[in-house]
Amino acid sequence: MKNKFWFVPGLFSSLLFVTGCSKDPLQNLTPEESRIYTTSYDSSANFQDYKTFSIADSVAVIDNGVVVKQHSASDEAYLNAMQNMMEQRGYLLVDKNQSPDIAIAVNRVYNTTTGFFDYGDYWDYYGGYWDPYYWGYGGYGYNVPFVFGVYQITEGLYSIDMFDLKNATTNQEINLLWNGLVRGEGVFNVSTATEAVNALFAQSPYLNTTH
Amino acid sequence: MTRYIKISFTLIIMLLISNLVKAQTTSKEGELKLHLNYQYGIPLGDFKNDMISNGSARGYSGSLMYQISPKWAAGISAGYQSFLQKYPRAVYETGDHEATSAVLTNSVEITPLMATGLFTPLAENGKILQPYISAGFGVNMLSFRQYLGEFGGADNKATLIAQGGAGLQITFGKAKESGFSIGANYQYVPYQRNGYGNMNNLGLQAGLYFPLK
Repeated sequence: MKNKFWFVPGLFSSLLFVTGCSKDPLQNLTPEESRIYTTSYDSSANFQDYKTFSIADSVAVIDNGVVVKQHSASDEAYLNAMQNMMEQRGYLLVDKNQSPDIAIAVNRVYNTTTGFFDYGDYWDYYGGYWDPYYWGYGGYGYNVPFVFGVYQITEGLYSIDMFDLKNATTNQEINLLWNGLVRGEGVFNVSTATEAVNALFAQSPYLNTTH
Repeated sequence: MTRYIKISFTLIIMLLISNLVKAQTTSKEGELKLHLNYQYGIPLGDFKNDMISNGSARGYSGSLMYQISPKWAAGISAGYQSFLQKYPRAVYETGDHEATSAVLTNSVEITPLMATGLFTPLAENGKILQPYISAGFGVNMLSFRQYLGEFGGADNKATLIAQGGAGLQITFGKAKESGFSIGANYQYVPYQRNGYGNMNNLGLQAGLYFPLK
């Protein structure tokens, strides 16, 4: 029997090509939608007990294991946003020489390789750059007990840390109190800083104190 | 609008009248037919509640069926259905004392390969409208991708799949060996991981079938 429907497979294939193709889940994400904000904290800490803070005047840039100190426009924006949010939550900004309860450090981290980010490298270099002596606690080491998310990093991120200086003498080490990660497209834009830091604080309602 | 209603009504009446007319021939034993369908997938149950609630027009299927008798056919079928949903930004608990604010995107692709049976109980009466039921069982290449923002991963695995369907064939041509078909398939897609359950879904289909020789 002669096939009268020889055209149908071609027609159907065309239809499938137009309508049946898989959608790329990431194709329609805006830069804002691509960003994630992750916070983690020391659950044993009572953030009400902390009253003052100091913030580093520049940013540590960790670029594939090489650490430099920088102060770009976006760094400035993140530092300012952090200061503003801490003050809104009741913490008082003091000079690092005035025995602040909390030390805040902002870090810009780059990893140009694909795969899982090696947080060990990050912390190995961390103590070397932000020497505890900077906070007036020379000789102490940092204690970083948290294990952060395991998402794949393809570009870079801002990592913001709060350290416990209030109890450093008692603990004989500077414990990490809180960490915020800002990842995704546009994280190094000045315009992103306020939105990102606001998001970090919005999901950290425990970060507040009264005088 | 009234015009379209009239046209539709006329077409339905014509189909019903023509269905009363006996045809000369129907499906023959030993015939090999190709069925091609466009499919709209609708998530059901846990799949709908926990993962993706939106239906998807990105689906199709095809079957190569051997006519065992005028009423029975058996063969293989393959298909593809993708589902995708993006949820607005929300805060998720991603670890002990760890929270992540993100736009969540779930993507599921179902690609079954099944042994399929087709039963058309009224095939021998030769009428234009032929109801059918079908069943299939086989393997499914499942791809589940989940993203927080632009970060995420995939879980690709082979699963079993079972399918049951029903619908209507509308034959055309003198020999009544070809036609349109419309129907629905229920797919049972077992899945258990990370708190997510089966990805069962309903596929609404429309397509063509015709003999290959």
